[in-house]
Amino acid sequence: MRTGVIGLILSPTFPFLDMMWRICPALAVGCTVVVLAPPASPTPLLLAQLAGELGPFPGILNVISGPASLGPVLAAQPGVQKVAFCGAIEEGRALRRTLAGWGPELGLALGAESLLLLTEVADVDSAVEGIVDAAWSDRSRGGLRLLIQEAVWDETMRRLQERMGRLRCGRGLDGAVDMGARGDAARDLAQRYVREAQSQGAQVFQAGSVPSDSPFFPPTLVSDLPPASPCTQAEVPWPLVVASPFRTAKEALAVANGTPRGGSASVWSERLGQALELAYGLQVGTVWINAHGLRDPAVPTGGCKESGSSWHGGQDGLYEYLRPSGTPAWIPYLSKTLDYDSFGLALPSALPAGPETGPAPPYGLFVGGRFQAPGARSSRPIRDSQGSLLGYVAEGGAKDIRGAVEAAHQAAPGWMSQSPAARAALLWALAAALQRREPNLVSRLERHGVELKVAKVEVELSVKRLRAWGARVQAQGCALQVAELRGPVLRLREPLGVLAIVCPDEWPLLAFVSLLAPALAHGNTVVLVPSGASPIPALEVCQEMAALLPAGLVNVVTGDRDHLTRCLALHQDIQALWYFGSAQGSQFVEWASAGNLKPVWVNRGCPRAWDQEAEGAGPELGLRAAWTKALWLPMGD
Amino acid sequence: MATQGRGEAGAGGRRKGSTEAGSGSQLCCGLFDMSAHQQGTELDLSWISKIQVNKPAVLRRAEQIQARRPVKKEWQAAWLLKAVTCIDLTTLSGDDTASNVQRLCYKAKYPIREDLLKALNMHDKGITTAAVCVYPARVCDAVKALKAAGCDIPVASVATGFPAGQTHLKTRLEEIRLAVEDGATEIDVVINRTLVLTGQWKGSDFIKTSTGKETVNATFPVAIVMLRAIRDFFWKTGNKVGFKPAGGIRSAKDSLVWLSLIKEELGDEWMKPELFRIGASTLLADIERQIYHHVTGRYAAYHDLPMS
Repeated sequence: MRTGVIGLILSPTFPFLDMMWRICPALAVGCTVVVLAPPASPTPLLLAQLAGELGPFPGILNVISGPASLGPVLAAQPGVQKVAFCGAIEEGRALRRTLAGWGPELGLALGAESLLLLTEVADVDSAVEGIVDAAWSDRSRGGLRLLIQEAVWDETMRRLQERMGRLRCGRGLDGAVDMGARGDAARDLAQRYVREAQSQGAQVFQAGSVPSDSPFFPPTLVSDLPPASPCTQAEVPWPLVVASPFRTAKEALAVANGTPRGGSASVWSERLGQALELAYGLQVGTVWINAHGLRDPAVPTGGCKESGSSWHGGQDGLYEYLRPSGTPAWIPYLSKTLDYDSFGLALPSALPAGPETGPAPPYGLFVGGRFQAPGARSSRPIRDSQGSLLGYVAEGGAKDIRGAVEAAHQAAPGWMSQSPAARAALLWALAAALQRREPNLVSRLERHGVELKVAKVEVELSVKRLRAWGARVQAQGCALQVAELRGPVLRLREPLGVLAIVCPDEWPLLAFVSLLAPALAHGNTVVLVPSGASPIPALEVCQEMAALLPAGLVNVVTGDRDHLTRCLALHQDIQALWYFGSAQGSQFVEWASAGNLKPVWVNRGCPRAWDQEAEGAGPELGLRAAWTKALWLPMGD
Repeated sequence: MATQGRGEAGAGGRRKGSTEAGSGSQLCCGLFDMSAHQQGTELDLSWISKIQVNKPAVLRRAEQIQARRPVKKEWQAAWLLKAVTCIDLTTLSGDDTASNVQRLCYKAKYPIREDLLKALNMHDKGITTAAVCVYPARVCDAVKALKAAGCDIPVASVATGFPAGQTHLKTRLEEIRLAVEDGATEIDVVINRTLVLTGQWKGSDFIKTSTGKETVNATFPVAIVMLRAIRDFFWKTGNKVGFKPAGGIRSAKDSLVWLSLIKEELGDEWMKPELFRIGASTLLADIERQIYHHVTGRYAAYHDLPMS
């Protein structure tokens, strides 16, 4: 079902193509668009005028020219269901913070830097042409990080410098010119970067000299920049190429994945095995093999890490503008009184009610495959629907979250490399174990006030969902057909990494399992905070998982929900966060996710019907549990 | 190691080896060199084994080069005249006789109509084609015709069993000897494909895309790979090897793309008849028509321009 009204915020230096790639799919699925354009560019206004002449449907495309500060105003309008933004990383981060709590989903596509990996068995001349395409043509989106294997360093540098001498800068509209100018802001940014790089000890090569007051910036090659210098961490502006050497493929992957940006990359190697190994290992949204900068509307283009988590093109691009049928429209739930600095900061101090020993020994935290005592060495009581004491569960804190995330990261490589069949087998085994525990689980749920019939349904559905997601593990990647390319383009679904889930209070067992299963099925490792009022069914499931699953795959931390949410949301090494709690919590999660720009999914305080197929086991869960990587394989010998 | 033609080209002469584009062997690195102009180098087969060529990327570059450097107006006229000075005006038909060879040689001396050159103020710059290329049997006639026209451009002869190269080494060497005796100063040698396909290489002053008689002759992707090889060889040894595309170059626009390709990949030094030749016959007519259009603003009829 289509989403509704889409707000599109354009950054001051937006490429026309980016704008079209967002407007067209939105209109195609039936949404209407409001664009906030920077005052300096009249092109969106012209587009809106043309759209207005379409007769029967005035108003499908509307454009407002205004400063970026109108962004939150646009998002606050009732009816705006999604805001899309493409531009610089810092602007995206600021937007994420200001829009927290306003209601619409935020889709970010940030950064324009790309990467080129040149191995020693590549066609170096063609790779040099690839570098020119990537960094010094009018099609290039941003600067380029160049990783060259040491064996071909001298050769590549020589050819690159020779080729730079033949580039022609001039008016962009002249057909015989390779690259034009992109405005004063871009030129100043490049100038500043070059000066800083030189002060940090880099060698700078510029082909030809350009007077300092001209709007053109010459093609620039920066090399010998020390890896620890601040310039290596910053995004490379256009039209710069920053070159660094590497010795082995493994080192190349470590260096390439060692930045927070994950936009696009190309791998140049004539050895198929090595090229695919590198392509699969790079954490970027698009990988080209022996090519650079190929684009097609049928191929999803997006990013990961700090390059944002929205896609354009292909199936994923359309899903951006759709939401599951039957879900209500989102409304603003902003709480102006929320203090981000103090939310969930301190643990509420509660006097222990009675002796610490209850009907059973207190449950510990399930971290690293076994039950452990919490760092704070305290527990919280859990009461049943009548108010009598059921038991104690651990009071988890920041240290426990840290330990859980570490354990999840340790288990991640092993789990990601499991074959789909192995993952499916594990999920089915877990389903069988749950079925064996059915009487136990039903009685626990009853103690919490759930009716016997409903409890039975809950357990049955949980088992069924585990089996269903196990079966869905098989369909992961597929090959796309691209019109003008000889050769396949693969759409791979990659696991996010470590996924943090804060489970809702309604349907304590079913929601827990419904969120856990798709996350595991797609190759993620999980850190869960179960329902605050009734965590014991979840902990019972953990007892089964201790025997069946590899250590660290699933980690469950109980405790104060707000405090644990704060720890998870501010953690820089969690790849995504799903929050099903209060409205204030949702707002905090959205705000805090700006730290490492992790994709978040919040319920805005509204309960969800987990027993319904659409909301509990729909394709939305599968889409959110993984990200898409496009792998281009041009063919020919 | 095949060393056919070693020293047979005569002092001061120049040999050109051609490699067949259609058979898939796209490279012929100049390795040994026998003429008085260049020093030879030792054959190093490891250079060949390290070569990697990625075909889709080369195809992309070839498409790009055709669109990226358009030349217009008076600069186009200048580039066309430059192209004329690099043409090896060729006639290689079975029915060549003295009369059409004489016509060709005269056209080589006066490639563009006098009044058109005067309008461009280039009539006294000595614009002629680079050479005349004929079968060995016609070399005598060509030399005589050029002497009668008072022209000192070289006569090039194809030799060594042109175009297939499948004759005995003895007769091939004899062909070259006789052609040189008759007055040819350049020889287009067809390399022995058997030796190429078994990895036994030889050197040359020029490399040519193919004999021009294949189904697929001079295409841009092949040329890009050959030019990159020439540049590599120059960087490694300091020797400059020339390049000659031949076959299928018929339009003036194509010749401009060839020139810009040379300029992009190798630089201005290679845009001279000493290092770049275009093997063509009908190309000259098309260039002349373009120059006519530039000078007069009108399109010429077939009979307006002298035939070659």
